Amino acid sequence: MLDLNYWEPGNLLEAVSLLSNLGEKARPLAGGTDLLVKMKKGPINWSGIVNLKGLPELKGINFEGQTMTIGALTPISALMANPWVGVHFPVLVEAARSLGTPQIRNLATVGGNLCNASPAADVALVLLIYEARLLIMGPKGPRKVPVQEFYAGPGQTVLEPGEILTAVEMDVPPLNSKGVFVKHGKRKSHEIALVNVAVLITPQPGTKQIARARIAVGAVASTQLRLQEAEESLSDTVVTVDALERAAELAEAAVNPIDDVRSTAGYRKQMVKVLTKRALQEAWGGEL
Amino acid sequence: MKIPISLQINGEMYQVQVPVQKTLLSVLREDLALTGTKNGCDSGECGACTVLMDGKPVNSCLILALDAVGKQITTIEGIGGITELDPIQEALVAHGAIQCGYCTPGLVMTAKALLASNPHPTETEVREGIAGNLCRCTGYVKVVEAIMDVSRD
Repeated sequence: MLDLNYWEPGNLLEAVSLLSNLGEKARPLAGGTDLLVKMKKGPINWSGIVNLKGLPELKGINFEGQTMTIGALTPISALMANPWVGVHFPVLVEAARSLGTPQIRNLATVGGNLCNASPAADVALVLLIYEARLLIMGPKGPRKVPVQEFYAGPGQTVLEPGEILTAVEMDVPPLNSKGVFVKHGKRKSHEIALVNVAVLITPQPGTKQIARARIAVGAVASTQLRLQEAEESLSDTVVTVDALERAAELAEAAVNPIDDVRSTAGYRKQMVKVLTKRALQEAWGGEL
Repeated sequence: MKIPISLQINGEMYQVQVPVQKTLLSVLREDLALTGTKNGCDSGECGACTVLMDGKPVNSCLILALDAVGKQITTIEGIGGITELDPIQEALVAHGAIQCGYCTPGLVMTAKALLASNPHPTETEVREGIAGNLCRCTGYVKVVEAIMDVSRD
């Protein structure tokens, strides 16, 4: 019979010191939608749970100037309920709507979606195109990590023992930017993406050019990826069908998917090209 | 390690001693005999264990009982009265939206929360709202019709 220890730290510093002392012996609990499933499935190589839900420092969505800060414990459903998130970061809301089920979205947290480091995560993928910065507190003090530097592999992050992701911050993109999130799966709801793609393009006002493009893909490599080459091929470029096709080909070339129970590497690779082009076209919106 | 806790369920306080890993679902069914909440997949996939936590539908199989302390939990036993059904339950019966009944308590809880936050949803909103409740008997058409019917009253 499983015999676990349990802690409810009252503040962030207490949580950091608990987690750094316990090391691999304990796991932090946020929404629990992954941790409890793993606990039940077993076997587990840890023996205690540090429940972070009581920490006031990890809660709430705040806007200050051009920057939005989302506490790591914010449930996914809160992103959908906050009208300002929808106004400034509509793609984030799209991704939130596609995650799990209504019941899961009321439990699962933004921080959990990141720290779980699933290559197929939906909300975390969109944070890549918004170039989010992750606020981390640890035994050595606070630090900030760009989201594209956060992952170390499937299920692995750069968090060191005792470190806790406390919040995510991101700047409102230029007003004329347009983003698109595409999740490709077999079902419309309660699905883990076979491939997911997020793009954000900022047109050069008064021209047929893209000033800047950001493209992120998930479930097609050991971590989620920003596709720099594909992005650069579009910057300061006149938008044509050929230009989008070229970017989509560069996207396809940059990914390294695997065969698994949900799909094959070959199919995923092809879909990266198809969906990247489709997402870019939709984000551009205008005539080609 | 067992920890003594108080849980507020359907407006009443219950005292129980729980091991750390015990879920809210297990405590409801095993310690409190509130067996209306069903255990389907035990992994957050099926929605049979849906209860309301502070008014929001959640999978009780994914919540540690320890983590439900200080929350208002509503289960199917807290819906309707002994002699009269909740309008959602009546509509499900009237539409024949029940067969084996295993998913029904979870569906009722989800529909309850949906209509509380959105009294007149579109059909799409109803379908999205119940996307986390799997039914293997009737399918969803009758369930959607029943919920839409309640929302028209």
